[in-house]
Amino acid sequence: MAAKTPKRYPETKVLSRNFDVDKAWTFDVARQRGAYRSLEKALGSMTPDQVIDEVKTSRLRGRGGAGFPTGVKWSFVPKQTDKTKYICLNADESEPGTFKDRYLMELDPHLVIEGCLITAYAVGASMVYIYVRGEYPLSIERLWGAIEEARKEGFVGKKIAGRDFHCDVVVHSGAGAYICGEETALLESLEGKRGHPRIKPPFPAVEGAFASPTVINNVETLAHVPWIIENGGAAFAKQGIPPDPADPRSVGSSGTKLMGVSGDVQKPGVWEFEFGITLRQMIEDYAGGALEGRTIKAVIPGGLSMPVLTGDELDVKMGFDDLKAAGSGLGTACAIVMDDTCDMVQACENIAHFFADESCGQCTPCREGCHWMEKIFHRFDAGQGTRSDLDLLENLFRQIEGRTICALADAAVWPLRSIVRKFRHEFVAKMSPDEQRAEAEARSARQPAGVK
Amino acid sequence: MNPRAPAAEPKDVAPRAPAVVPASFPPAELKATCEKILARYPTKMAALLPILHEAQAFGGGWVSPELEAGVAAYLDLSPAHVHGVLTFYSMYNTKPAGRHELWVCRTLSCWRRGAPELRAKALDKAGCTRTGEVGEDGRFLVKDMECLGLCEQAPAIWLDGVAHANVTPEGLEQLMDGCE
Amino acid sequence: MSASSSPEPVVTINGTAYPYEPGDTVIRVAHRHGIDVPHYCYHPSMSPAGNCRICMVEVVGSPRPQIACKMACFPGLSVNTDSDLAHEARADTMQMLLVNHPLDCPICDQAGECHLQDYSYQLGSGRAVTSTPKTKLPKNQPFGEQIVYDAERCIKCTLCVRFCEEITDTNELSMGQRSDHEQVIMTSAGEFTTRYSMNIVDLCPVGALTSRDFRFRSRLWFMDFVPSVCTGCARGCNVTVGARMGKVLRLEPRENQDVNQWWMCDAGRLGYKHANSATRLGVPAVRDASGAWREATFEQAIQAASAALAEHRHEERPGHVLLDGGATLEEMWVARQLAAALGGEARFAAHVGDDGDEFLVVNEKGANARGAEALGLARVKNAADAGAAVLVIERDEHVPADLRAASGAVVAFVTDASHVPDSVRVAFPFGSFAERDGWLVNVGGRVQRLLGTGEAGPSAVQPFQAVAQEILLDLDAGHDVLDDAALETRLRAAPGLADLVWPPASREPAEVSS
Repeated sequence: MAAKTPKRYPETKVLSRNFDVDKAWTFDVARQRGAYRSLEKALGSMTPDQVIDEVKTSRLRGRGGAGFPTGVKWSFVPKQTDKTKYICLNADESEPGTFKDRYLMELDPHLVIEGCLITAYAVGASMVYIYVRGEYPLSIERLWGAIEEARKEGFVGKKIAGRDFHCDVVVHSGAGAYICGEETALLESLEGKRGHPRIKPPFPAVEGAFASPTVINNVETLAHVPWIIENGGAAFAKQGIPPDPADPRSVGSSGTKLMGVSGDVQKPGVWEFEFGITLRQMIEDYAGGALEGRTIKAVIPGGLSMPVLTGDELDVKMGFDDLKAAGSGLGTACAIVMDDTCDMVQACENIAHFFADESCGQCTPCREGCHWMEKIFHRFDAGQGTRSDLDLLENLFRQIEGRTICALADAAVWPLRSIVRKFRHEFVAKMSPDEQRAEAEARSARQPAGVK
Repeated sequence: MNPRAPAAEPKDVAPRAPAVVPASFPPAELKATCEKILARYPTKMAALLPILHEAQAFGGGWVSPELEAGVAAYLDLSPAHVHGVLTFYSMYNTKPAGRHELWVCRTLSCWRRGAPELRAKALDKAGCTRTGEVGEDGRFLVKDMECLGLCEQAPAIWLDGVAHANVTPEGLEQLMDGCE
Repeated sequence: MSASSSPEPVVTINGTAYPYEPGDTVIRVAHRHGIDVPHYCYHPSMSPAGNCRICMVEVVGSPRPQIACKMACFPGLSVNTDSDLAHEARADTMQMLLVNHPLDCPICDQAGECHLQDYSYQLGSGRAVTSTPKTKLPKNQPFGEQIVYDAERCIKCTLCVRFCEEITDTNELSMGQRSDHEQVIMTSAGEFTTRYSMNIVDLCPVGALTSRDFRFRSRLWFMDFVPSVCTGCARGCNVTVGARMGKVLRLEPRENQDVNQWWMCDAGRLGYKHANSATRLGVPAVRDASGAWREATFEQAIQAASAALAEHRHEERPGHVLLDGGATLEEMWVARQLAAALGGEARFAAHVGDDGDEFLVVNEKGANARGAEALGLARVKNAADAGAAVLVIERDEHVPADLRAASGAVVAFVTDASHVPDSVRVAFPFGSFAERDGWLVNVGGRVQRLLGTGEAGPSAVQPFQAVAQEILLDLDAGHDVLDDAALETRLRAAPGLADLVWPPASREPAEVSS
């Protein structure tokens, strides 16, 4: 075991406050620990607009990866409409390396349901669909159990908490498709179709599930809502990283976040921190650092879909803007660590395979391009790559990024491009001696001119 | 202590019931479930994914063309639409799926922590040359799956709908030996 | 016009402002004004899928190109279809489309009318940038009786799927699988029940969907194509007839928003087979004294026909002319004169089906039945009324064997030699719909041009109106011979016809290319 290191940054247990409590997924234990109090507060003493304002004040940003301000998203839902409004909880946690929402659903499902119901009240929805990936049967079981308990206790269904608010909650099981985590693909899948992302506009807030106004949020996002209602948006906004005063458009990274580490570390896991812990602190202090005798080579800070940081670039704060400034992104804040035994060419092949496999097949650049990249990486691994293949890859990155309906293609390009650029030498090392010589000559020719 | 999500305990796995071809869909044993599912959605089509899950479990781990046609008729959908949906999602099988279904996660975290060795072991024990096929003895269908969301317990596998984490090749061998 | 009304909203394309209507997309406005925006998955009749990514244009002020097929116009929008960014985006998409394409143009039926080829010439580099192995997908998949699908050639534009969903509402097709294994599927449980299935072959921008009827029969550049109309029923769907070396090889719908939009039915499309019959009558034939047939020149046959008809007139029986309901107005007009000279009247017969639908197919199968009625021709429905001196027959189903036998005709103009009844002494070849020029009136009262191609049918078949007028001359020296232009002038002014919807332009020279 690694020596016990003092932790440089504390955990803050807000969402995870019940994770260590036995049977917190049952109504009695959860209720005793405060479940549905915020819902009662919202229904009893707040108007829907006040709820939205409180969430706006909190500066809560979406926890699914994109980081869109949640209160702003809710305010896009039309107030006047004859249509049923829906909440779709995005629990299709398919992002590789990401498992935080599973903990919430398995260990504290009542918190998740309460968050959904407060959201439904805020935007005037009467139906909540929780779209859980099919690979999470325990989450599905616990959520259904919690819904039925809550229904018995008067917190789901008609006249919730004795008030004039009616809302049902249904768990919808996915069937194995990464793309269904994309919000419009999720809607298609919910409607019983192939998970092909829709072209936006119209945005889901106006025309979402069953052509009706729909709010789609990540599990963790809505799990924050009860705390915000209980303690106020301002208290939430005080946590984490404040907005940059120099930038009027900056939202900052307020509140806490479930963050995880997996891959080549001693103790993979998930913890809750206020935004601001550095990637290195999290990996070294909580995940136990690199495996015995190894060093960390590269880390994708949030899922699979963000650019990699090298082992020297880990002193960056976990926050939306900080990671963006460091050339990567927060994503799901669940880091994947690769150590010095990792062959980065093979890692690229593995990553490209994932995106090629999970491309819905709709748009030409993604459908054809992801597999093409995988085949090129395979060629490098077989020792047949050339310097022109690296140019071709750069060209493909440019052709794929930003040319498709949804962001899956962008998500494929970002980690791959960053690895190809930061670990070019590993690709060169797998080339033929002639190619390697040509690369060395080109490098030395470039060097004096001071270009790169 | 980091909290552990439960449900990774190996347990006895019974072989699946042989495939049954119902005269019409839903068969009597699924009727109540299907009606309950239908009542959850404003459209019949929206019930397709959950009903296909039921049909697959009923059909012995795969959705036969007969079941597929039955589901299509039940939900007033074209057979092509149902087939298109079935083949889009990786959890559905459109071919006989063996007595046991084994998924090996192949995505980055598991790949770093030993998934390739598990995959080789699984194929070897199942007697298959490739994933996606059933071995000659009809015991196992081995499938490559993308991230199963068990990354902190990598490498992970699924055996007949039950997740197993931190699996070693030896552990996998034992698990597979426990299957009929 | 009040000057104060708000100005029409405009969108700027390539620096020029164009008006648009609410709901317009950039590609619609561009196409309306003749600006080329390449497209595969876009079709004006269907919801945009936005998946092929070839219609990308530069949006001024945005670093990323956008798809024109889904981009709604708004005031102030300015796009460039011809800029470097737009060209680059399209060339990139072409490269992606071709990386797994089998490039089997030498054996592909689409070659010559393939959008992948066209845009490849326009936008592609002509140079392969990679040698990665191509993805293998199913080939030679039957989609119903008439269509064959090749998933490797397919570019997954989903036009065929959307056609079955949005146009016919029959939903036979879907996309199946995903990622680069995505392909169009039709389940074994499903059948291609729509009678409009073959439209997906025309819709397919590449050679992924081919017609069993046409595939491997001819290279397109060896064929002659003429704009004409389908004579399978009285709808008169506008078509392009493709023929080569005496055979009709293909009918394809031609856009006409007032008649058939972009479509036609399978039966109409395949209803050309009689034109290629092995028993086509190619030259005039006259019975000799023993009753045996012998070939004759038109001159000899006209003499023989005049003699036979004069004899007929001598018997003082009314000399009716019984026409196929698909005969042109010109043919009916001259037939009426011939009948008058024989003391009878021109009549017509046409099949009436019971398979009409709400889309295109109508029960009336006589392509010019409405024209015949407008000219005052009586309809012969049964053998008892079929008596005639002259028969004019293209399709068996319009003038079936019992009517032919009951007619007692002595002269027949027939497309097929097997349609000549025993009573006939002189038979003239009659062109099929693919060989004759003339006007037809469809079920909606629209006068449309039937246009023949020299590549179809036996060579040197003389038009009925020419032969009949020669006979008239023989019978009645006072007759003026009218050419087609003179006939048209009379038709346009004729009672019953003048009120119909005629095309504005007068008869133009046939656009037959050699």
